[in-house]
Amino acid sequence: MSERSDGNRTRGAGRRAARAAVRAGLRLGPWPLGVALVGTASAHAGSLGGATASATVPTWLTVLTGGIVVGATFLFTTLLTDHDAMRGVNWWRVVVPTPAGARRGAVRLTRVVSVALLALVLVTGLVGPTTSTQNFALLFVWAGWWAGYTMTTYLVGNTWPALDPWRAIAGGLRWVAVALLGVGTSRRGDERSADGGVVTGDRFRLSSATIPERWGVWPAVVGLLALVYLEVVSPIGTNSRALAFVVAAYSVVTVAGALVYGRAWFDRVDPVSRVFATYGRVAPVQRDENGFSLRLPGTAATEAILPDRPGETEFVVALLWVTTYDGLVSTPLWSRLLTPIAQAGVPAVLVYVFVLLAGFGVFLGVYRLASRYIRERADTYVTVDEIERWLAPALVPIAAGYHVAHFLGYFLTLAPALGAVAVAPFGPPNTVVLVLPDWFGTVKLACVLLGHVVAVWVAHSLAFELFPGVLAAIRSQVPSVVVMVFYTMVSLWVITQPYVAPPFV
Amino acid sequence: MNRKLPDPLTRVPTDEEPTATCPHCERPFRSVHARDLHVGERHESDATGTESERYERALETERDDLWFFHAKAVVGLGVTYAASVILYMVVLGGFL
Repeated sequence: MSERSDGNRTRGAGRRAARAAVRAGLRLGPWPLGVALVGTASAHAGSLGGATASATVPTWLTVLTGGIVVGATFLFTTLLTDHDAMRGVNWWRVVVPTPAGARRGAVRLTRVVSVALLALVLVTGLVGPTTSTQNFALLFVWAGWWAGYTMTTYLVGNTWPALDPWRAIAGGLRWVAVALLGVGTSRRGDERSADGGVVTGDRFRLSSATIPERWGVWPAVVGLLALVYLEVVSPIGTNSRALAFVVAAYSVVTVAGALVYGRAWFDRVDPVSRVFATYGRVAPVQRDENGFSLRLPGTAATEAILPDRPGETEFVVALLWVTTYDGLVSTPLWSRLLTPIAQAGVPAVLVYVFVLLAGFGVFLGVYRLASRYIRERADTYVTVDEIERWLAPALVPIAAGYHVAHFLGYFLTLAPALGAVAVAPFGPPNTVVLVLPDWFGTVKLACVLLGHVVAVWVAHSLAFELFPGVLAAIRSQVPSVVVMVFYTMVSLWVITQPYVAPPFV
Repeated sequence: MNRKLPDPLTRVPTDEEPTATCPHCERPFRSVHARDLHVGERHESDATGTESERYERALETERDDLWFFHAKAVVGLGVTYAASVILYMVVLGGFL
């Protein structure tokens, strides 16, 4: 398998990291869990190349085995038909007591810290060193936040509403506008929020403008596709100045949007908030009417159906697709296919946008087709839209598993550099990168598979809630399992491919 | 029964008359069997004696069909497992 750098996001960064390590001098040494700090570029690439690839198991067999495991998991779950026992597992929880005072204090503290970090990203992005592995903005945004923090949203819980610096800024600006300048007549209204019964007001909104209901969360779907496109075709992965500019633009748009539309902005438009909220659906720590509770991983997704709004299902499908797309454009196959097209004079950026949209269309089409078959097999009057919406949470563990496989190695590789630069963002020392051991490739494959196995369980549980009896629920799952088997094999194939930087951009 | 999820939206095609409807919540079903199961699962406390009996009978049918289905699933699992082992033996043994 692969010589794949684990994340595509700061694609050049890993290599630069390796070069920087060479400059820093060799620091060989043992590391817990057999991870070593090594300072040569070839060792870095070679070690990543070890990945799954025992020399004897060919890639096709690895990929096929993944498909077999998912199919076998389905067969195995069909043996679990005691609905009450399934609910016992899915509804199990431990309520974690959280005093309101402590929670408020923690939220205030995290707001100050997150706004300070945003400021630091902007400053170091604009005036910091241009070396990828010494620039705080690049390391923090891609390795720390997009790879590392995102993992916590599904492995621990969605903490973004408390950490979001733009919410803090928008809330602060509104407070200034209302309290000091007398702008806006509406006081901070106390109302019950639909999801948790927590008494809160819209602490962002200054106007009474609303986003049309019929748009649903489509603005967030478009935003997510646009963000990933920007990340793939623009230099923000390696150029800190460009990154700072994009972060600044994003900040202005988000704060303005929050002040005009209030909470709805974060709920229906801001793609970043929606990504974390979606990933948070499978996290073990959940927030509900009783405060915080600890759940078995993935089980929270069996209880929370997506709201009945346009674009909800599409957002989850888009999340799955953009993670795949991100991997797909850095495979050798993509380079081989794109080269003749680009040489024929077709602008590469157009090919990228076409494939992004076409692939999203294909994913949506396949999901819709599977839902049709599910409807037929379950012999039910439940509408196709409704089946799509009910079963969509089962896609989230798949996206999460793929995300870990994609980013865990990348995060670990750059974590020492991030730590060193975070201590001295303006005068960073020479940094080193971690070299991961050979068995790490197997861990990545296991993450993809684990995501699918959890997804099979979630789909199984949801089908039991959706259709009466046992047999209809089991039979209905066959189309989605067939799709999952193919998707597992595709994503395992992408993971096992050597990394090639997306060409022509 | 503790219910946490809402009932799903249903739509009956205009040219079709639902085979059965839940007397408690009006939800339409394509088969009497599914309706009987639904009544037993979702309206256990409100179900009449006849409805409870019908539910028991529907469960009995499910059990028979399920036994056959599970037999197939177990055979499927066994065949998959055996085929995988043989495949690995062939590939790792260098016959391929």
